[in-house]
Amino acid sequence: MIEAKGVHLVYEDGTEALKNVNLNIDKGEIVYVTGPSGSGKTSLLKLFMGIEYPTKGELSVLGLPIKRGEEDNIRKMRRLIGPVFQEFKLIKGRTALENVMLGLRFLDIPHRKIKEESIIALEKVGLGHKRDSLVEHLSYGETQRVAIARAVARKPAIILADEPTGNLDVDNALKIMHLLTSFRDEDTTVIITTHAIHLLKECVEGEHIRINNGIIEAESRGEA
Amino acid sequence: MKNFISNIGYFFKEARTIFKVDFLSNIFSIFSIALIFFILSLILSGWWISKEVVDVLKKEAEINVYFDENLEDDKVNNLIENIKKIKGVREASLVDKEESYRRMEEILDKEAKILELFDENPFQPFIEVKIDINEVDHILQDIKSLPDIDYIRDNKNIIDRLQKLITVLTIVGLLVITATGVSTLVVISHIIRQGIYSNRDQINTLKLLGAPDSFIGFPFMLEGLFLTLVGGILAFGLIYLMFSLGYKQIGTALIFIPLPDFGTLVKTLSIFILILSCGLGIVGSLFGLSSAKNS
Repeated sequence: MIEAKGVHLVYEDGTEALKNVNLNIDKGEIVYVTGPSGSGKTSLLKLFMGIEYPTKGELSVLGLPIKRGEEDNIRKMRRLIGPVFQEFKLIKGRTALENVMLGLRFLDIPHRKIKEESIIALEKVGLGHKRDSLVEHLSYGETQRVAIARAVARKPAIILADEPTGNLDVDNALKIMHLLTSFRDEDTTVIITTHAIHLLKECVEGEHIRINNGIIEAESRGEA
Repeated sequence: MKNFISNIGYFFKEARTIFKVDFLSNIFSIFSIALIFFILSLILSGWWISKEVVDVLKKEAEINVYFDENLEDDKVNNLIENIKKIKGVREASLVDKEESYRRMEEILDKEAKILELFDENPFQPFIEVKIDINEVDHILQDIKSLPDIDYIRDNKNIIDRLQKLITVLTIVGLLVITATGVSTLVVISHIIRQGIYSNRDQINTLKLLGAPDSFIGFPFMLEGLFLTLVGGILAFGLIYLMFSLGYKQIGTALIFIPLPDFGTLVKTLSIFILILSCGLGIVGSLFGLSSAKNS
């Protein structure tokens, strides 16, 4: 599903974000990527989303190569994943429902199903009653849940969530973690980055990848 | 394609939302575009009027062909027919002695009594030849080679000046039209580009979700088209109002300038503005989208 072999990522300004990353993430896994701020978690997710390309090494997501010159494949791959961005990237001036529907409009989903699936996704994240609210009128937590609904409504093969617990208190952070992991099934992989290692004690299953200074320091399977 | 068609309703709704989100800025854009089109239409009308003047001036170019006075009428008619056959000759007609006398009377006006001093009509008949000014040299040559020609008053000096004036007017007109056209394209593209640029976050988000470029760009293209189209309609309204109030007055004040027919001018301008606004809306949006893509 995701395969990285000797992947390096060096930004244009010379910052070495990732060094020799070797990974193999399978279908239906839950993966937590942890590490302090600036360790390379977001950079790793940017690679998985095709926002950045490996400077060295080979990376493929859902069997599609992530490298310069493969823009069509990257676009294809993006349609198969459900990203939850750190800053949510919802579109202002549109309702929660419109934002979720927007993520589906260009996928191969029958037109009449788009609204239906979007409402179901909003209900799953507990926001069915706020579907007609403009996103700028929602609270931080609600906005985050709309972003999650947009990701899951697409029925993605991989859910990629970048620091979804960022500014939340422990209770709400755990709720979000549980919500995200609840979408894991045998066909859906969930990858979550977080710097809040203490939260993982409450998460009973999943693989834990610890990253520091761009290097993967530890990988553990089973309990996080 | 199927996806695109099923999303048509969304594209229009989205274009409306994009317009509403940046409402004030879009309203200012419409007014700016309307003023640019208005100025362009004014310049175009000016160019058109100057073209009419040039055409009239061109028609004024004529030479006078004098022939043997004893030539019989049918030979004179033959001569006229032969002159008419020369390439670049628009019209050839006989001006007889009486007509020459009458014309001179008209020219001299109050001084015409001087003509009474002559016992006989002192003027000669001649053939008045209206010509295409660009063909003057070979017309003169061809006429000279015809039989029974006494001499030709070629008005060369006047024709040369006329030709220079026409060239200057044409070049200046084309330069002004080109400069204004290019400026209009640049300014309008920039206005639309700014609008799209302010929505670059939305564009980038859709890209990250894997949306095709056509899906991302179409609502912006519709918005750009709407801005230029409404701007164009406003400009046309202004032009129509201005011309319907002042066109006759201009015609009366500048009687020597032949103005184009009001109906034709307005119809042509409306088609021109409509096509231009659609074209610029699409081109400007494409420029804007490509710059957002590169950012």
